[in-house]
Amino acid sequence: MKTSEPCRVEMRVPRRPEYVRFARCAAKTLALQLDFTYGDACDVELAVGEACTNAVEHVTATTSDEMLVCFLVEEDHLTVEIRDDGPGFDPHGIQAPHPDLEADSGLGLTVIRAVMDSVDIESESGRGTAVRMSKRRERQSA
Amino acid sequence: MSSALEITSRREGDEAAVLSLAGEVDVANTPQVRDAALQLVSAGVMRLVMDLSATEYMDSAGLGTLIGLHKRLKELGGALLLAGPKPRVKRLLDITGLDQILAVHEDVAAALKEDAG
Repeated sequence: MKTSEPCRVEMRVPRRPEYVRFARCAAKTLALQLDFTYGDACDVELAVGEACTNAVEHVTATTSDEMLVCFLVEEDHLTVEIRDDGPGFDPHGIQAPHPDLEADSGLGLTVIRAVMDSVDIESESGRGTAVRMSKRRERQSA
Repeated sequence: MSSALEITSRREGDEAAVLSLAGEVDVANTPQVRDAALQLVSAGVMRLVMDLSATEYMDSAGLGTLIGLHKRLKELGGALLLAGPKPRVKRLLDITGLDQILAVHEDVAAALKEDAG
């Protein structure tokens, strides 16, 4: 796919578990179209799945029933932002999984940070969460 | 909406069973995985082999379910044994450090062998 000009794609996706697969598969398809390696496209799929799952798991009666999934296509990068209006959280308070498994939350963020090149989280209690993450495209050898 | 996951199970003796997950495990179907596993535990299964050889995708929701089952079986004096994860799932276990905590075997036969031992 030609990516000389930055291009933005936005999807409004229901915040329901059965639509997480749609969002992550769309991300993987786009990454493959942009000539990301299969492994990197799978990483993008996984990260988008994790961020969407987080949005789905924090839906409440007073929050929107949609999440916004935005893709920014640039020459060497694919950036994805998942935004919701859920209760928010303190991203600095999330720790890597503890070996005794007493707390198994935080796994998703650990995964996102491991598979993407950069991750930025804006979240504030009561004001929703935006997870913005980028993956650089490796040049395929001829 | 059609399911991306097929769950099957078989008993192996009185206290062991193999639960096979073919397809994709994510937040949409982890409740079914948990229910199928807990049904086996309720029926007396103490050693549960989770066959991941046909699991094409798993995320942290799936890992959370595995952690919950591991804890439950450990409380009962039993064990959860993972068998044959593909590279994508192996990598996920590695990233999260769960490969150091959960028993991971090359295939179902190896898991059952340890189970028998």
